[in-house]
Amino acid sequence: MRRIAYYKGCLAELSARELDSSTRVLAPKLGLDLIELKSVTCCGAGDIQTAEPDYALHLNARILSEAERAGLDTILTVCNVCTLNLRQAAWQLRDDQLRARVNENLERAGAAPYSGGVEVTHLLWLIARGEGLARLKEIALKKLDGLRVAPFYGCQLLRPSKLMGFEDPDRPSSLEAVIEACGGETVDYPAKTLCCGFPILLAREETALGELIQPVEQAMEAGADVMVTPCPLCHLSLDAWQKSLERARGEKLGLPIFHLSQMIALAAGLEPARLELSRHVVPMGPLLARLTSPLGDGR
Amino acid sequence: MRFRLQIQRSDPDSGKTRLQLYELEARREATLLDCLEQIKDEQDGTLAFRRSCREGICGSCAVRVDGRTALACRTPASEIVAGGRIPVITPIGNLPVVRDLVVEMEPMWQKMRAVEPFLRPTAGASGDGREAVITPALLEAVRKEALCINCGACVSECDAMTVSPEFLGPHALAKAWRLVGDPRDDANRARLKGLSGEHGIWECTRCYLCNERCPKGVDPRDAIAKLGAEAFAAGIVRDRGARHAKWFVTSARTTGWLRESELVVKTLGIAVSLTKIPLALRLFRRGKAPLPLPRHRAADLAPARELHRIVTGQDRRGALGIVQGERVLERIELVRAPEQPASEEEL
Repeated sequence: MRRIAYYKGCLAELSARELDSSTRVLAPKLGLDLIELKSVTCCGAGDIQTAEPDYALHLNARILSEAERAGLDTILTVCNVCTLNLRQAAWQLRDDQLRARVNENLERAGAAPYSGGVEVTHLLWLIARGEGLARLKEIALKKLDGLRVAPFYGCQLLRPSKLMGFEDPDRPSSLEAVIEACGGETVDYPAKTLCCGFPILLAREETALGELIQPVEQAMEAGADVMVTPCPLCHLSLDAWQKSLERARGEKLGLPIFHLSQMIALAAGLEPARLELSRHVVPMGPLLARLTSPLGDGR
Repeated sequence: MRFRLQIQRSDPDSGKTRLQLYELEARREATLLDCLEQIKDEQDGTLAFRRSCREGICGSCAVRVDGRTALACRTPASEIVAGGRIPVITPIGNLPVVRDLVVEMEPMWQKMRAVEPFLRPTAGASGDGREAVITPALLEAVRKEALCINCGACVSECDAMTVSPEFLGPHALAKAWRLVGDPRDDANRARLKGLSGEHGIWECTRCYLCNERCPKGVDPRDAIAKLGAEAFAAGIVRDRGARHAKWFVTSARTTGWLRESELVVKTLGIAVSLTKIPLALRLFRRGKAPLPLPRHRAADLAPARELHRIVTGQDRRGALGIVQGERVLERIELVRAPEQPASEEEL
């Protein structure tokens, strides 16, 4: 078992609790021993980075230092936005002068200083290549045979690529690799790397919904049974705001949305009840029935 | 070396477009712009595109290569045809096409004019009637934004502009920061108020496509964040987007984690929030709208509170909180995974 610091972020604790529970259920199967970071806060979500960027840097420095204090060199995230913010801070804090200043403040505030060198990764990155992918193939017993899955990356796991750097931000392939390892069939569509609108969903709803419709509509036109996303913020817009899209357009959509961890857990044969799929706004029941039907071939 | 390109042609009268295949023999080191010029010289004088300096300074030749906006003069042709691929060259996005690869830039200039892209010093700023004196250190905060060559690559792919054409967008907002962040300009408060309007700072969805495409490393999204930070420092926080951001700050220093259930009211105000009751009920039924009480608190909260008190009393408030990390980020070498050729369907 690989011990890894687990930073779950705000949403996985609250509205996307099913992301946290499915990640925990799945982790042992993937050979991960999740050590949850407790004395930590919100990563800033891009909002504090805009409002009070210096404070945001300090909050992230504290999260990084907590991982260090727990004797761990890697933080695992399950959210695009947390990944970007932590990686950005980790890069900035490579600068000795800046780190010294931040550390002085951390210590004054009663937090541990950060000595640098903690790696920040996302669940998707751990399993999309190399050993992680091999392990995924071992545990995914093709429970999704025939399911047509549309990958939706969201923005901040791809861009800015100089901070993320895992794959080509315009033609990514990690989600596709995972979908295929799970026995699903990838549905391709242009908007898979575009924005779900989440950051401005409350402040500029019309613009956000205009962005959100692109992936939903394109994936459905391409014949997707379900969409999968590595980000709980994308999940919240795609799932919870889909009804708003339906109302705005006067047509039924009903595209179910998986959290990445849920899709893998299902493919690994884990009990669906433990994945809290019933917490989704777009019902997952019909899809689940098809997947688990002893008569069906998965379709 | 033999190159094959598909170029979008358009009929200015009917507005119809089609892809035309061109084949040419050119130097291995040829840029995409070299190829376009050679086609125009030798094969088809009717092909329209813009260019001037040929070395990444004038910003005239931005086009989309297989959907990705880039300067033609800085794009090695051999790279885009690698693996036998026939790249599709189209005009940049979010601006009307005049003909072939030429777009109408006027909508972009209008937005640039709207942010008043010139210094507004107070009378006699230097005190002696001469031009204001500025040191390189003082210009550090706007150094990146000053590199902009107005090529429109950021505008081309801005996801928010595609949906909301009135959005000021990454180009104009980066220009705006160039002025707000310049110590010689004294109209900051008025500028920040203007930029905090319906289609300003807070309409950016943080998709980072602008940062990704800018050929000069301006990072327009970061400039927009700098404007947001300065608006906060100046107390200009009435916009819904600013209130949204403010609630994250409040949450972090009071409960550590986001106080999610109160976010809607804090962002939209009570009256507008009432219109969101159906949404709230939908979420509540699924356990997705957590009750505000008991509050979801992080363990060991004191440092988060204390850190806020400490840093707000220091000299890195506002945009400097972003600027302080920029030099470090610039040292990141671009490590990109090898590109995968697009499938036939994409073409």
